[in-house]
Amino acid sequence: HLAEDTSDLLQHVKFQSTNFENILTWDSGPEGTPDTVYSIEYKTYGEREWLAKEGCQRIARKSCNLTAETSNLNELYYARVTAVSSGGRSATRMTDRFSPRQHTTIKPPDVTCIPKVRSIQMIVHPNPTPAHKGDGHQLTLEDIFSDLFYHLELHINHTYQMHLEGKQREYEFFGLTPDTEFLGTIRILIPIGPKESSPYVCRVKTLPDRTWT
Amino acid sequence: QEFRFGSCRAKGVVLQELWEAFWAVKDAVRAQDNITSVRLLRREVLQDVSDAESCHLIHSLLKFYLNTVFKHYYKRTVEFRTLKSFSTLANNFIVIKSQLQPSQDEMFSISESAHRRFLLFQRAFKQLDIEAALTKAFGEVDILLTWMEKFYQL
Repeated sequence: HLAEDTSDLLQHVKFQSTNFENILTWDSGPEGTPDTVYSIEYKTYGEREWLAKEGCQRIARKSCNLTAETSNLNELYYARVTAVSSGGRSATRMTDRFSPRQHTTIKPPDVTCIPKVRSIQMIVHPNPTPAHKGDGHQLTLEDIFSDLFYHLELHINHTYQMHLEGKQREYEFFGLTPDTEFLGTIRILIPIGPKESSPYVCRVKTLPDRTWT
Repeated sequence: QEFRFGSCRAKGVVLQELWEAFWAVKDAVRAQDNITSVRLLRREVLQDVSDAESCHLIHSLLKFYLNTVFKHYYKRTVEFRTLKSFSTLANNFIVIKSQLQPSQDEMFSISESAHRRFLLFQRAFKQLDIEAALTKAFGEVDILLTWMEKFYQL
């Protein structure tokens, strides 16, 4: 008796992770029907037992949030999806080994850009993650990646930019022309990853100079 | 940039290059390992390792990887076209290991504790069929690198 090939029911089972928000996603195969239902299990690499994910049993949607179940940054995980079609055919597929620390991508930082007369101040706000320390303390990206730093650029004109870089949160670009618009971009960089966020972009105009000359 | 395993120092290795070498071979290697219920570098091997223990432990692990895992896995790299990345990993492990001088005048309990951790890993390795064990150990280099990262100073 040849095992029936049901790969047409289920495809691309994988984790999508951003700032340690870990979402399991999949696609129905070419033969998938709208009434196909999906059930999700997960486990830590090295454990025998698969655990059913509550809230993701016999669901119709094609994603499941496993952030809470995969919150240990130094652990490795697997998840698997079982699809059951209305005709009773089923298929099960597993993810690759998932490491939150290695696989997560980094969102742009949250930044406040404050224009002044001849300068622009930029304040980078902490980047919270769903990950926690053993004592329940919520971790920021800065807590997790000791080599994390920020790279800031201020575009003066087509050919000239100013650059600042560092681990601190507050930066200021000086020596600017009053009442002029500038484009600022701020990225998070993690050398050992290597990981790099897409930029946070702010367009600001310096204040007019009202001092009597 | 250097590794500081307690009093041991290892220079001349760019950790990022090790990661890139591993990622280049990861998929080919992991595709061969479908034993998800066994992990060789378990938490008990690498968790809460003291600085003093770390040099003894990394020395034993690198020695094992070089003399057992890489030595026997070499012939498969041609099959997987991963020789270049494999060599990068092996050569850098040699560079690190050659600079490690685990102190002999530390308390016996420290080296003994490190040795017990290593034995946990080695025993798990020996419980598997050799081919499966080689593939799994090679596929767990990222676990080793993640742990080594804690001792890496930019």
